[in-house]
Amino acid sequence: MKPQRRLFLAVARSITAACVISAVLTPHITAQATAQADPGPHSLPVQQPGASSGERLDPYAPWPTARLRVRVIDGRTLQPLPGAEVVLVETEQRLRTGANGYTPWFDAPVIRNPRFRPLVAELHGQLTVIAYKNGYRDSIHMGIRTHEGLDSQATVWMYKIGPEDRRIEPVLYQEPYHHLWLIELVDRFRRNSQLGEGWQDPNR
Amino acid sequence: MSKFRVFVSAAVALGIISPTAAYAAPTVDNTQEPATIRVAIRENNPNGEPDPRGRIVWVQSVPFYEYCQDVLPNEWMPSWHAESLKAGAIAIKMFAWYHHLHPITIDGFTFDVDNTTNFQTFRYLSRQPVTDRAVASIRRYAYVKPNGEIIELNYRAGIPNDPNWQYRNAQKMAQWGSQYWAQRGRNYIQILQFYYEQRALRQVQT
Repeated sequence: MKPQRRLFLAVARSITAACVISAVLTPHITAQATAQADPGPHSLPVQQPGASSGERLDPYAPWPTARLRVRVIDGRTLQPLPGAEVVLVETEQRLRTGANGYTPWFDAPVIRNPRFRPLVAELHGQLTVIAYKNGYRDSIHMGIRTHEGLDSQATVWMYKIGPEDRRIEPVLYQEPYHHLWLIELVDRFRRNSQLGEGWQDPNR
Repeated sequence: MSKFRVFVSAAVALGIISPTAAYAAPTVDNTQEPATIRVAIRENNPNGEPDPRGRIVWVQSVPFYEYCQDVLPNEWMPSWHAESLKAGAIAIKMFAWYHHLHPITIDGFTFDVDNTTNFQTFRYLSRQPVTDRAVASIRRYAYVKPNGEIIELNYRAGIPNDPNWQYRNAQKMAQWGSQYWAQRGRNYIQILQFYYEQRALRQVQT
């Protein structure tokens, strides 16, 4: 094969690979395009991670998605904050809140923590968003719960920067784990000889 | 006769016999649905989660149905079957209603429920569309004794993929059990009937 032809083939192959990778890694492009549209039917899960413990985690397979919207409110007045920018950390989707403080509905991935996946499948996925708005502290909100095929919403509290504020740093809120899953987690690793609080007694 | 009356009034005066409490048990017929509920917010533990043994920081008044909406996604799993969520919504509502009728005072704070598993897990503004629909769908109903008396409907997590008969024996609903029965085609009334015996579904006065 001539060197020019070989070079051409190599370039064509790398362009194809780049297109595939960008399609996988930049779902926010498609998400932003759909975010403005009316909420449509639920998107079906593409891949169900953690369905069986023998299944290997493939980081390049597309995640299942679910619709999500984020509401941003002033943490002190509890009034909606329009014009805040909300970034979904996992996919870098960027959305802006409307007059009612809500972002449009958008497709967000359902990501379960791979640390626990083969041991105890988490009952919901978790996401992180950051909210930015001029005059307010940046707010990080971790552990937003998402479920396949289910609409979810989350509320981010933002705090106004006042004249007395000196050291201005982000505010973190971490949603706690669902207590039903915590009960499953401890029961999964409990030994018969180590009851601890024991299996739940219905009479208590 | 007069001797007996004198004896009884003397016994009452001396505190030997307490006069019979002349109040009617709160029923759905003589009690209005609560408009708001007082939620004691307990101190967070170092991980940032409300601590069931923590100090009470303040008492928040929450509209009654907003309270139910902000409890259901934290007690039941929003991805569960709709009938399971409805059964959960009834249990949460009746638990809260009962405790609204029986407030307590701790450390100078008077409240109906707190925001931890001492009562029901409550996170302000954590409501989700699917659980809101479950709360709205049971809004006209109450699950009470056949005479209408409002009682506490208790529930516990239970065991996944199991009917949880032991919770029926204890007259508590198993949360996982409600999902088990809903997946097998039972509706929320049948689920409630399975776990709580001798109860009736009644319409609430509006």
